[in-house]
Amino acid sequence: MALPLLRGITTPTLFRANGMFCTTQRPILAHFSANKPESSVRTAAPKSTQQATREGQVVAEQNTQGFEAVIGIETHVQLSTITKAFCSCPYNYGSQPNTTICPTCMGHPGALPVLNAEVVECAVKLGLALNCNISMTSKFDRKQYFYPDLPKGYQISQFDIPIAEKGYVDLDIPLEFGGGHRRFGITRVHMEEDAGKLLHSESGSYSQVDLNRAGVPLLEIVSEPDMRTGIEAAEYGAEIQRVVRYLGVGNGNMQEGSLRCDVNVSVRPIGQSEFGTKVEIKNMNSFSAISRAIDYEISRQILLHKESQADQIVQETRLWDESSQKTFTMRKKEGLADYRYFPEPDLPEVILTTEYIDEIRSSMPELPEAKRRRYENMGLSMQDVIFLANDDNVAHFFDSTLEHGADAKMAANWIMGDIAAYLKDEKLSIHDIKLTPLELSEMIASIKNGIISGKIAKEILVELISKGGTVKSVIEEKDLVQIADPAAIEAMVDQVLTDNPKQLEQYRAGKTKLQGFFAGQVMKASKGKASPVLLNKILGEKLKGDC
Amino acid sequence: MLSAAAASAIPRLRWAAPPRHASSRAQWLLLRQRPLSSSPNVTPAAAASGPGPLEPPDLPRLAKSARISLSQQEAEEFAPKIQQVVDWFGQLQAVDLESIEPSLRADTAVGSSLREDKAEPFANRDAIIEALPSFDDPYIKVPRVLNSE
Repeated sequence: MALPLLRGITTPTLFRANGMFCTTQRPILAHFSANKPESSVRTAAPKSTQQATREGQVVAEQNTQGFEAVIGIETHVQLSTITKAFCSCPYNYGSQPNTTICPTCMGHPGALPVLNAEVVECAVKLGLALNCNISMTSKFDRKQYFYPDLPKGYQISQFDIPIAEKGYVDLDIPLEFGGGHRRFGITRVHMEEDAGKLLHSESGSYSQVDLNRAGVPLLEIVSEPDMRTGIEAAEYGAEIQRVVRYLGVGNGNMQEGSLRCDVNVSVRPIGQSEFGTKVEIKNMNSFSAISRAIDYEISRQILLHKESQADQIVQETRLWDESSQKTFTMRKKEGLADYRYFPEPDLPEVILTTEYIDEIRSSMPELPEAKRRRYENMGLSMQDVIFLANDDNVAHFFDSTLEHGADAKMAANWIMGDIAAYLKDEKLSIHDIKLTPLELSEMIASIKNGIISGKIAKEILVELISKGGTVKSVIEEKDLVQIADPAAIEAMVDQVLTDNPKQLEQYRAGKTKLQGFFAGQVMKASKGKASPVLLNKILGEKLKGDC
Repeated sequence: MLSAAAASAIPRLRWAAPPRHASSRAQWLLLRQRPLSSSPNVTPAAAASGPGPLEPPDLPRLAKSARISLSQQEAEEFAPKIQQVVDWFGQLQAVDLESIEPSLRADTAVGSSLREDKAEPFANRDAIIEALPSFDDPYIKVPRVLNSE
């Protein structure tokens, strides 16, 4: 039950304003449905995302005979710095529009950008986490384009000398998606600034701009074209999110747009070495949407290949539409965009020292991949490993519980079972609950020592999660100590057998399934406190005996 | 959310006089193979010509890139002037760089530093808002744009 999907189950919202899509999609939709591949039609009503993704995988497998997809991803990570990249404006998501602005991020003439030191630190951290070479000297460049969300008319980015390059990321594919370990190459990581937000008025006669986000620092991570399926791409995205969260450089929130993935997909006959024409897909706001969008796009392109219409695949940007579960043309690329990059004259080069990089390296937390390998070596199943390492708060809770001496498998079971269920029901995160790792370890010890049964432990756990306190106090307060006295249990068994002569007769006549009934009655009589092991042992003897 | 403890453990980066690294020389040499520009969009002809005479400017294309409308007459008038500017840059190609230390950028003042990540909201927002050509509180109003880059 791992993964992107856990987080992916949220109400889909379009990435930018709705109006933008309504107006452009209608004619395209009509055009597109003319040569719509019948085999890849999906139901419009979103099912459970997990189910939908599985189906997507099946569809992809069925249709890929003879073809393979090549997928590369560009990920934009918004950094959780206090201020913007090149000016001291604070940035908080959801602020009143156009309030956190200044002459620098508004692109006023004469304003001078000054780089935020924290941005460099985040870039080096992420570069190291992605096993990249860090450039001791890098520089900023201007990327020119005209759009109203970019007040300067250019974006400050890094072009030919990014701060980090040539790395890789390791991840584990969950068992339900086939399992296996993967390594995907990272081409580069570079620093740049975000643009503002553009909204389109209902009437459509003008557009509105909010420049609060203009100048907010981003790290762009470009992957090698190493992925082959929607699942692999979604897992890559999920791993980037985990790394970003583990490092604390960003919140990785896809709904808020703090983590954005643009995916390039092309298809080629298996055995062909050159790539097919690539199509870029945008507007996916969950990992399961990434997986579904890619599988849809792969099916679409393969079908065109099979129908000898491969020339219909053109280099373009397509948008994923959550409601119809399809991709639609957003804009066709007219040759290469001419960004006229040139070195940013207002910013000096970024020079790092080995001392600085070493300090950052030594302050790095344990990363998801290292954690998974460590958990795997403890003997935990891959499902447990992936679940526990998915969220660094959960992993930290688990690690602390082990530090207090708890058994790894039992701790994993309680966290993944009752605790996870509670968190899901109450929509809480693990650090919101009152249960401490120490008390979880105490509870596990109490079960092991036979003081309480697993059933009682479940009751105690709910109490500890919602109200806090110690295992000891809850046991005493509620008089929950397990009855482990054979004589006491025997007395209860005798009583139950006496009270149910009819069932006893049936049992002795061969209806041995009734043992469960008797066990239940005894457990009820003991208010759940009878030691299940002792109970079953004594009950079995009594039932078999000829008393 | 960067923890204060972790942040303080890392020394602040300074724009100190850079120790020259072998790798930066290699990067620079790589860059120099493209005349005066790091753009990948240099036309093959220009790239092949190496440090020879620069391509004459394509005025209509330049104007389009800069979102400037030029009449035919204006284009003809500007072409030689811009050619002149390009020629001045062309003269730089003749400079002998053999004995010069490579640098990605012009020298920067020693001791200037990066900015600390500390918020200082701009005090005169009203002036910014007043300077906007069109404001529709709380948004900046612009002509309708739809995905046309």
